[in-house]
Amino acid sequence: MVMSFFRKGESGIEHIERRVVSMLGEARHSYDMAISAVISGADPETVEADIFATDERINRAEQELRGELVVHVSVQGADDIGSVLGYTLLIKKIERIGDQAKNIFDLTQEGVSFHGASDAKELQQYASKISSLFGEVIEILSSADEEHAIQFRDTCDALRADCEQHLRDYMHTEQPGSYAVPRAVLYRYWKRIVANLGGVVTSATEPLQHQDYLDGGRTDITDD
Amino acid sequence: MFLVGVSSLEAGIKLMGEDTQERLFSTVSNPVAGLFIGILGTVLVQSSSASTSVIVGLVATRALNLDDAVPMIMGANIGTTVTNTLVSLGHVRHSAEFKRAFSAATVHDFFNLLAVGLLLPLELATGVLTNIAEGISEQLLGSAGSDWKSPIKKYVKEPVGWLEDAWDAVGASGNLLGTLMVVSGLAIVLAALAFITRNMRLLVADRVERSLNAVLGKGAGVVAMLLGVIITVSVQSSSITTSILIPLAAAGVLSLRNAYPVTLGANVGTTITALLAALATDAPEALTIALVHTTFNIAGILLLYPIPKIRDLPIRAAEGLADVAVTRKTWAVAYVVIGFIVIPLVGVAILG
Repeated sequence: MVMSFFRKGESGIEHIERRVVSMLGEARHSYDMAISAVISGADPETVEADIFATDERINRAEQELRGELVVHVSVQGADDIGSVLGYTLLIKKIERIGDQAKNIFDLTQEGVSFHGASDAKELQQYASKISSLFGEVIEILSSADEEHAIQFRDTCDALRADCEQHLRDYMHTEQPGSYAVPRAVLYRYWKRIVANLGGVVTSATEPLQHQDYLDGGRTDITDD
Repeated sequence: MFLVGVSSLEAGIKLMGEDTQERLFSTVSNPVAGLFIGILGTVLVQSSSASTSVIVGLVATRALNLDDAVPMIMGANIGTTVTNTLVSLGHVRHSAEFKRAFSAATVHDFFNLLAVGLLLPLELATGVLTNIAEGISEQLLGSAGSDWKSPIKKYVKEPVGWLEDAWDAVGASGNLLGTLMVVSGLAIVLAALAFITRNMRLLVADRVERSLNAVLGKGAGVVAMLLGVIITVSVQSSSITTSILIPLAAAGVLSLRNAYPVTLGANVGTTITALLAALATDAPEALTIALVHTTFNIAGILLLYPIPKIRDLPIRAAEGLADVAVTRKTWAVAYVVIGFIVIPLVGVAILG
C-alpha cells in the first residue's frame, strides 16, 4: 500500500475509466447469466449465486468509485469536474443495469422460462443483440469515438422504440396472460437496459447538462 | 531559492548586532511565550514549513538559542493546524458535512495540543528531545561538530552576497541593512515554499490520488501514517496533505479514524523542510533544532498512538467539539479566532 505512491501508474481518470469498463464487464456477465437461466434453459439454482455475487461486486465498485471520484476532485482540483459528475451518473446507470439483469433473473423465481417456447429463438436473438451492445459501449468508452457514439445512440433509440412496440403488442394480444405478461416484462427490462447503455455512452460523450435528455431537454429518457 | 532565503535571514540577523538581537529575542526566553509566538508566526504565514525554517535560520545565527527555540517549534506544530480547520469552515452551511469536516480538522489540533501538553513540560524538565536531537546531530556530523561546514552553504553564499550588495547599494547599513536582509529572506522563503508546494502538488498529484485511494480501500493504521509522511515530504507541506483530507471527510468518503493517522504522518513529513533549511547553515545547532522538530512529532505519536484508549482521546475531543460547533456555528469561528489568535496574542503580551 505504501509502495503505491512510488509505483508509476495510470492517472486518476484513467484508473476510473478502467474500473468503469470492468464494471460494465461485470454487468454484461450478470445479464448473460440471467438470460441463460430465463431463455437458454440453464439451471437457475446454479446461476443464482453467480448473479448475486456479481451484483454485489458491481454495487461495491459503484461505492468505491464514488469515493475515488471525490478523492480525484480533492487532489486534482476542479479541472475534471465535468468528467467527474458525468462518471457519477454513468456508474449509477451501470449499477442499474446490474439490477435489471437481476430483475430478469427474478422471472425464473416466478417459474418463467422461455426455453423451448415457440418464440425462444427470436427472444434469444434479441437477447444476444443486447448483449453485444455491452461490448460496443466498452469500445466507445475506450476509444472516445464520437461518430461511433452517435451511431450507437441511434441504434439504442431504434431498439428502445422496438421494445416499446413489443410491449404494446403484448398489451393488446389475444394470447393468455401467462404468455403475454412475462414477455412484456422481459421487453420492459430490455428497454431499460438499452436506455441505460445508451445513457452510459451519452454520459461519457455529451455535455453534462444534456445527459439523459432528448429533444433539446424535453424528454427524460430515464423516465420512459 | 529556499536555501538562499534561509541564509539571507541568517545573514540579516547577524548584521543587526548583539544589542538588537538581544532585544528581539528576549521575549521568547519564557517557554510559553515562545510557544505562543510559534503559533502566531505559523498562523500568520499559514505554513509550519516556513515558520520552522525561519526558526532554524535564527538558531543558526545563535541569536536564538536551542532552549528558546524548542517551544517555538512546538507552537509551529499547533499553528499549522489552523489551515485545515479554516478549510473545514467552508462546509459550515451543511450540518452533516460540516460535522465530519470539522472533526477531521480538529483531531489534528487536539493531537498536537496533547503532544505539546505532555512533551513541553517533559522537555523543560529534562531536555529529553534536545538531548536526542543533539545525539543524532553528533552522529550525522561526526567529529566535525562546531567546525562543520555545510556543503550547500557555499552555493547559497554568493546569491546572499548579491542581495546584501543590492541593499548596500541603495544606502542601507547596520540595523536597516539587517532588517532588509531579514525581510528579503522571509519573502524568498515564503515565495520559494509557495512555488515548491504548488509545483510538487501538481507533479505528484496522481501518486497522492493513488495513495489516498489505497487509504480509502484498506483503512487506517501505521501504513496510512506512512503514506501521510510520504505525501507530505513530496508536497513539502502538511497543510496541503491535511487540507486534502477535509473534503473527503466532509463527503463521508474518509472516516475520521482513517484520516487521523494520515494527519499524524503529515506532522512527521513536514519536518523535512526544516531539515533541508538546516543544510543552508554551518551551525550544528540548526540541524539539532530541525531534528527536535522531527523527534517531537515522532515522540508524540509514540506516546499517544499505540494505546487505543489514549489514541482515541483526540478523536473524542474532535467529535465533541464538532457536536457543539454544528449546533452553534459561531462557536466554530470563535474557536479558530480565540484559539489561534487571541490566546496566543494575549499570552505573548502577558508573558513576553
